[in-house]
Amino acid sequence: MRAVWAIASTTVGEAIRRKVLLIILLIGVIFMVVAPGLGVLSARQETTVLQGMMLGIIQLTSAVIAIVLTVYMIPNEIERRTIYTILSKPVQRWQFLVGKYLGAVLALGLMMSLMTAVLVFVYSLQQGFDPQTIGRLVQGPAMFFIQMSLLAAVAIFFSTFVSPLVNFFLAGGAYLVGTLFNPFFDTLAKSQSTPQVAKVAAQVVNVLLPNFANYNVQNPLINPGSTISNPSTYYLMTTAYGLVYIVALLVAGMIIFERREV
Amino acid sequence: MAAAIETKQLTKSYKSKNGLVSVVNNLDLTVEQGEIFGFLGPNGAGKTTTIKMLLGIIYPTSGEGYVLGKEIGDMEVHRLISYLPERPYYYEHMTGPELLKFYGSLFGITDQAKFEMLLEKVNLHRDKAKTISQYSKGMQQRIGLAQSLLNDPKLLFLDEPTGGLDPIAHREIRDLILSFRDEGRTVFISSHELSEVELICDRVAIINKGIIERQGKLTDLLRGGRTEISVNGVSEEYLKGLNLADTNIRHLPDGLLMDMPEDNDVNQVLDALRGQKANVISVIPRKKRLEDLFVETVTNVGANR
Repeated sequence: MRAVWAIASTTVGEAIRRKVLLIILLIGVIFMVVAPGLGVLSARQETTVLQGMMLGIIQLTSAVIAIVLTVYMIPNEIERRTIYTILSKPVQRWQFLVGKYLGAVLALGLMMSLMTAVLVFVYSLQQGFDPQTIGRLVQGPAMFFIQMSLLAAVAIFFSTFVSPLVNFFLAGGAYLVGTLFNPFFDTLAKSQSTPQVAKVAAQVVNVLLPNFANYNVQNPLINPGSTISNPSTYYLMTTAYGLVYIVALLVAGMIIFERREV
Repeated sequence: MAAAIETKQLTKSYKSKNGLVSVVNNLDLTVEQGEIFGFLGPNGAGKTTTIKMLLGIIYPTSGEGYVLGKEIGDMEVHRLISYLPERPYYYEHMTGPELLKFYGSLFGITDQAKFEMLLEKVNLHRDKAKTISQYSKGMQQRIGLAQSLLNDPKLLFLDEPTGGLDPIAHREIRDLILSFRDEGRTVFISSHELSEVELICDRVAIINKGIIERQGKLTDLLRGGRTEISVNGVSEEYLKGLNLADTNIRHLPDGLLMDMPEDNDVNQVLDALRGQKANVISVIPRKKRLEDLFVETVTNVGANR
């Protein structure tokens, strides 16, 4: 665990200094700050639009950061030969991979915390500070954090065997499909009118693709008027789903990385 | 005492369009403990691949390898060895002490005094506040050596440790490597800097196209130098009459030049010449250099294959 932690903390140190990530973060924060000005243009209720826009900005910015941060993580270590000095020490490959992943998640957590703080500040400034509303609002970034941790696991998994460019499209594609189409596959698999073959196919796709859409429930623009009948069970189950998926991806990544010649 | 490194028929092959290509082919290598061993070869000869196999970073296709008596890849051995790669990169945002703390934590070493001592050993103790991004090449190489000493290793793998450094940094690194031998460590150096290797190594191996062509003590491998004696006041017939083995006699504008193996007894020849009242102008030993041996080995192999 000592080695894992050392690698994770170094990864955080590197990540929070990467200019490209800081620029993406800055752009996200700027959009959040100007979001209230854009909200008044909408015909829909200002509060709903503001919440939806700001949560959308956090989600999009975090997703871009998660992909850019993780697709280069392992290839960079190999290219710069830092991996050799680390693996020549009593460090197992799985420790290296888990350390890099945890570092990425911690760095993402830090950046998302900053965006959440901006969200709370800007929203309170605009709508007044109401602890209950704010409490509900920050559940959005909390769910996004699990979503991004899952996305980071997808990218880390791919980075054990594909180039950063291919990984960018694979991880990005998995995120898009898992966000936009998973609910469709889910409905297709459950529908009575779906032919059996299509049902099985939809179920397979549904199981194989991480369901990123699970974590978008808080956004009133994406899910207008949606209510969760039992929020604690829902959050617990989706968190557990994310964790299981992350562990599965990391284990698969470890198996590939163990055999890989670096 | 087990050898520091021992390989038996160690082979690494890769699949290519033309079939299986061996980068390292049936490597038999023995490095004794406490020696500085030079692993030489042209670019692409298989030096780094061999080191990576010995470190367990890549896997051999066939053959066996032992490091400090244990099979390669054994994690226990990783506590006793260290590696300095060619042109290493270190996390640039870190300072020297932070870098040592990071690598130390991989061993569970948190001893601040040790970090200080190592910084002093590599002469970076005055640059503690500088980040790696502010380091010169020589400083980066020295912090690399410091990190490689964190675990007090019995065996160090140094891949091109003086590559791209200025002469002063060269000397600093060379002195450090020599101090490792004095401390009883084994050093395995892969290098192109033949003059450097000649100065510090006890034994060398020359690898070319994945095959070890020569291996042995430097003193043995560099045997076969020549001695040139310039002389006048003596006839060519007299010199020929000395019946010296493998000796060439050439005419110079002001006398004759005897070119003979270094094994010949020079003093005996000089005594004979003085006995003839000959005038000895110069005696020049032409030592065989590692560079000659290297070029001879690599070009001969190239011509024969």
